[in-house]
Amino acid sequence: MKLRKVLALCLASAMTFSLAACGGAAATAPAEAPAQAEAPAETEDAAETEEVAADAVEAPAAESAESGLAYKGEINFMHYSTSEEAEGNGSSDGFRSCIATWEEAHPDITLNQDVLANADYKTQIATKAAADDLPDVFLLQGMNTANWAKQGLVLDLTDIIKSSPDAAGYNMDLLVPFTSEGKYYAMPAVSGGTCTVVMYDSNMWKEAGFDTFPTTWADVEKASEYFNEQGIDTIAFGNGGQWQMNSCFLSCFGYQYTGTEWFDHIIAGDGQASFADPDFITALEKTKALFADTKIFNSDFNSVTNEDAREYFISGDAAAFIGGNWDYSYVAETLKAEPEKLEAMKIAVLPEGDGATHYENMQNNGFGYGLAINAKVAEDPDKLDACVDLIEYLAGPSFAEYVGSKYGLGGFYKADFDTSGLNSWDVDLYNYSYVDNKAVAIYDSFLGGDVWNTLNPGLQDLTSGKTDAESLAKATQEAYEAFLAQ
Amino acid sequence: MLNTIRPKGRVIFAYLCIPVALFVFTVFVPLIAALYYGFTDWKGGPVKNFNGIQNYVQLFHDDVFWHSFGNNLYLVVACIIGQIGIAFIIVMLINSKLVKLKGIHRTFGFFPSTISALCIGFVWKMIYDQRTGLINWYLTEVLHKYKNMKSAPIWLGGEAAPIMLVLSIPLIWQYIGYYMVIILSAVASIDTSVLESAEIDGATGFQRAIYIIFPLIKNTLLVCITLCIAGNMKAFDSIYAMTEGGPGTSSMVMALYGYNQSFKSSNLGYGSTISVGIFVLSLAVIGGSQFILNYYMTDSYDREEKKRKKIRDKEARIAMKKRMKGGA
Repeated sequence: MKLRKVLALCLASAMTFSLAACGGAAATAPAEAPAQAEAPAETEDAAETEEVAADAVEAPAAESAESGLAYKGEINFMHYSTSEEAEGNGSSDGFRSCIATWEEAHPDITLNQDVLANADYKTQIATKAAADDLPDVFLLQGMNTANWAKQGLVLDLTDIIKSSPDAAGYNMDLLVPFTSEGKYYAMPAVSGGTCTVVMYDSNMWKEAGFDTFPTTWADVEKASEYFNEQGIDTIAFGNGGQWQMNSCFLSCFGYQYTGTEWFDHIIAGDGQASFADPDFITALEKTKALFADTKIFNSDFNSVTNEDAREYFISGDAAAFIGGNWDYSYVAETLKAEPEKLEAMKIAVLPEGDGATHYENMQNNGFGYGLAINAKVAEDPDKLDACVDLIEYLAGPSFAEYVGSKYGLGGFYKADFDTSGLNSWDVDLYNYSYVDNKAVAIYDSFLGGDVWNTLNPGLQDLTSGKTDAESLAKATQEAYEAFLAQ
Repeated sequence: MLNTIRPKGRVIFAYLCIPVALFVFTVFVPLIAALYYGFTDWKGGPVKNFNGIQNYVQLFHDDVFWHSFGNNLYLVVACIIGQIGIAFIIVMLINSKLVKLKGIHRTFGFFPSTISALCIGFVWKMIYDQRTGLINWYLTEVLHKYKNMKSAPIWLGGEAAPIMLVLSIPLIWQYIGYYMVIILSAVASIDTSVLESAEIDGATGFQRAIYIIFPLIKNTLLVCITLCIAGNMKAFDSIYAMTEGGPGTSSMVMALYGYNQSFKSSNLGYGSTISVGIFVLSLAVIGGSQFILNYYMTDSYDREEKKRKKIRDKEARIAMKKRMKGGA
């Protein structure tokens, strides 16, 4: 009898625990599910990209194989280069193939990859940071650097970067978004390149009377009269996700009014620049004027995403499109099916705004994300060595050569690569991003998320006439001051 | 005989603890934790500093939050009228003798509420789309109200129609079937002789619905309204899928705002404060509505009866006291 009672109690408690465990598992399931779903694809893909890598670049595999690492075990690695994204996106393809190569070269180390689409990744990584449960290696977004560094979540990589064997080739300017109080916290990786590029169909613009893309917005507006008659949008833009107008428009257009020094002061937080400065307010007013008062852009720009808007351009419903390098590679990849249209596609910088005081040929460029290491990894020196080896490889010469020679993209490492194999459209983007135009900083690679989460919805309000430039500037400045006060 | 099979009280108690433990871990612990985090400046990460009631002061002055609360109330009202009202009408129609294939109506009516709200959001996003959406296609191609779809309204842009109205339509559509099933079962439990005698007395369908059925199922309707309020105070998924609270913050709801603060701006401390705010406001709205509805839905006779009972009780107590004194 007694035995039965004990048994019953044991069973009951076992059940409670198992159920409680289920509860816990359910909470983390969404995080793991995509990873599991990804897993079979991962191995297949790795094999695929492996081949591509071998074809395109003479096997970068060999060099890391000899670097004998003492660590044997697992490295948890979280990033957002999904296999779907790698299909049209050069940097993502390069990143994935480099991971595959590194994995191959280190059979003793198991790389547990948790791969999520970018939007999900941002949420997941923020959740993991909040729970102090970051993976060993992950992609750190520039705007999180200051906060996470202060929380002690990310490892200080200053000495590691400086003493890296490839250090001489690093483009140290790119480290600025990942610098906090003079220390580096990540190695710029994956999504490098320009954030604002005007793609246009030169044939359509020729019909409108422009041999090249207009250099002033006034001319664009003139052209829009012609296009509107034809029932075509002049420029397609998608700001449904709220970040696009900041990253792909204002963060380049704004410099025409504020100049670049203004944002340097904003980053430094030295009190010499403010979002409430008249120049920035003018930039906001001019943005509002272009989007709300003219008929240049598609009328639904605030409710469609950049993915939707670029389809307007691809299908010929719009004569131009403004997006980032990721959109460009996607559009080019899609237009391969229509060689004529692909040939007619040209790129241009943002035209000069009305009354711009600091106009020059500008494009905003940089790395939004960098490879960072969890501060806890430092407890195990062998593991740290392995993680450092991984990020140095993924941000190093092999990656730069791969994306350079295959897509004309630049990396953190300034590699000399052979451009002979590049498509003409990739050469165009390369020249646009690294040769012809002045590079300016992407706003939201810096500062903190709360600043941009004030400005971004505000830009939607501004361009739909629900607020004015001054109050938006004021609200952003308040969020900025709160950020500085932290 | 029965006692030998019946487990001991403690065993039963242990088994009953399981759901309680589950409930505590999944509801109570997070709630208490949120209450605690709400008093910190937690930015995500191990550092949490206590900062008193600062977050609550901020919440009190946060226009976006109160605007979101207003949007939630809008949804509540729209959904009570739309979901329960239409469900009631549909139930009356299904119950009429003219309608054939009642089972099919029931099944198809219930079907949308089995789909996840996120999917509903995506489906309706497509329906509302300016250039490829069903609504604008109908307006342009069938009714010829617009020259082409590009000049047709942008439904999710907030200019063609109030954005919250546009967003509440999918919600209403989704849950009509849910309330329909609840109301149907309540109506089925009404004694048919009551309805038949009303019919013999010459009551029309409309009169039967208003004067017979409505009062007899009012307790079920009360439950429906409470469910509806509770559901809409925590509305999130379909709005997240359709507008993410945009344009700007015009379609922001409380839960979405809390999510944005926590995960987009990484203000987890303030995000927790918002969730506590949601909890308190939801309790207040549900409690307040219960009070009002209870008052209006109990008829005057019941109320009088309650009052009389109170007076009788009081008198009885006084009489008792007197007797006790007398006895002493």
